[in-house]
Amino acid sequence: MSVKVEVIEGGVPHNKIMIAGLVSTLVCIYLTYLNAFTNTEMFSFFGGLAVVSALIWGSHTIKVLCSYGIGTGVPSAGMIAFGSGVIAMLLATKFGMLAPIVALVLAAVIGFILGYVSNNILNMKIPAMVQALTEMAVVGALTVMGFAALITGGFSFVGLTTSKAVFMGLPMTSYGNSFLGGGLIAVAFLLGAIAIQHPFNACLGPGWKQDRMLMLTAECGFLSMIVAAVMSFALISAGSAIISLIIALIGWFYTYSQYFVLSKRDAAAWLDSKPIPDTEGH
Amino acid sequence: MSAVAAKPQAGGAMNPTAMAVGVVLLIIILGACWVVSPNLGLMALIGIIIGGVLIGFGTHFVPVGGAPAAMGQAPGIATGVAMLAAGAGLAGLFGGAWAAEQGMVVAVVTGGIGGGLMMAITCLMVNFVYVFGMGIPAASGKVLHDPITGDSQAEYKSQGTEGHGLPFVSFVGGVIGGILGGAGGTLIYLELLGLYEATFPTMMNATAAQVLPVAVSVAGMFAVALFLVNAVLTAYNITGTIEGPHDPKFKRWPRAIVASAVASALCGFVAILIVAM
Repeated sequence: MSVKVEVIEGGVPHNKIMIAGLVSTLVCIYLTYLNAFTNTEMFSFFGGLAVVSALIWGSHTIKVLCSYGIGTGVPSAGMIAFGSGVIAMLLATKFGMLAPIVALVLAAVIGFILGYVSNNILNMKIPAMVQALTEMAVVGALTVMGFAALITGGFSFVGLTTSKAVFMGLPMTSYGNSFLGGGLIAVAFLLGAIAIQHPFNACLGPGWKQDRMLMLTAECGFLSMIVAAVMSFALISAGSAIISLIIALIGWFYTYSQYFVLSKRDAAAWLDSKPIPDTEGH
Repeated sequence: MSAVAAKPQAGGAMNPTAMAVGVVLLIIILGACWVVSPNLGLMALIGIIIGGVLIGFGTHFVPVGGAPAAMGQAPGIATGVAMLAAGAGLAGLFGGAWAAEQGMVVAVVTGGIGGGLMMAITCLMVNFVYVFGMGIPAASGKVLHDPITGDSQAEYKSQGTEGHGLPFVSFVGGVIGGILGGAGGTLIYLELLGLYEATFPTMMNATAAQVLPVAVSVAGMFAVALFLVNAVLTAYNITGTIEGPHDPKFKRWPRAIVASAVASALCGFVAILIVAM
């Protein structure tokens, strides 16, 4: 039986963050459907916002799990989250309009079984293990799906494997120049995996504060969104990609400055030390 | 209880009920795969399970030191399982993927050599940094004599540490782990690539050459994902750190075999469903 090292003192309870994260992620992913209704790609940026809200939820789940001292390092939690999530997400993309819901259910099933395996077969005996691995698989699946929506403007299997291009006046279907065919999914995978594990890894310890960690998560999310928005220039129209990029830059700048403020607040003493004065004269 | 005393208590004991449930789960998944895709899919799934078990078993050999190793207070490579497995396994996977067209055996062997080579270089440079950078000799804390060379360890071990550096047996264990992991990752990749190459053209209504980038990318992504899942589950089994094949924690491998088989079967089944549905 493991002993919990840290307890959550104050702050928003985990269940509230989980529900808020789940609902806002699903709503944001579905809002990218405005692309299909309006026949544009302008609303792809909602995919990036889905990524940010899923990551905020996921990093708090990692906090709940890793507070028990699982001994394997915080990054491993992010890796298993995305390893199990991306598999569920790829199958779910075949279900069209239902894809986010299917990804949610499928990832929850995979995560639950992996949680059972690690808790019982591997004898981890950590009370939060099953629930945490279930949540993290869902977070992984929805994050990669958010990246897919941000980069390609949609999340159907056909949309992720093909792109339309005009070559010498003839419409061409390209398979290599796509989210899956071009390997962009690998970048999305690691962008998400690093963004989900970094915040708790950076903020853990006796001075852990919930709002500071979650602000750092949002910052990491927007930072990943900047990279993904740059990649989206290859697959969606330049104007839509610029909208995503600007939103990502604004979000990143705001969350980064807020994180700076929170870090100064939590520092024991913050002194604006000047460079070493050069007064000795030698 | 203080944070120092609150070490993970996952013991070495087996849980027979859970193991039985795991085996039943494995059979159920195999049966479901047989219903959905009797020939192509089932063969691929068996290959994926073998690959996943190789990864899970191989990770036990790798001397993972974690944070204590970084401070020279425990033997092993100074990082976590996830990073080491990603490094060694993916190096092997990329090596094997290059040789994918030359047949299963050549590709799997190439993947194993790639992973083993990566681990050999890593272990060598880690010892280089330990010996010449930090000024500490290699000594195991778990055994009195190195099982391979027979060298005495206790005289070189600093007081208050669990050993430090990479003794010869850990080095050999790292290379074996890299070989098994690289071969397992390549096997998963090859099985999925073969399956997708055979089924994507009809599913997506295109020629084989057109869908090749998609097949390679999806198979590669699944191989990476399965690799990470298996490596992290093994990390849970050894609670983060292990010295190598001579460590008492190594005896826990049967649990990891069942866990890896169930996890690989589950994830592999989902990967097969993409083309079978």
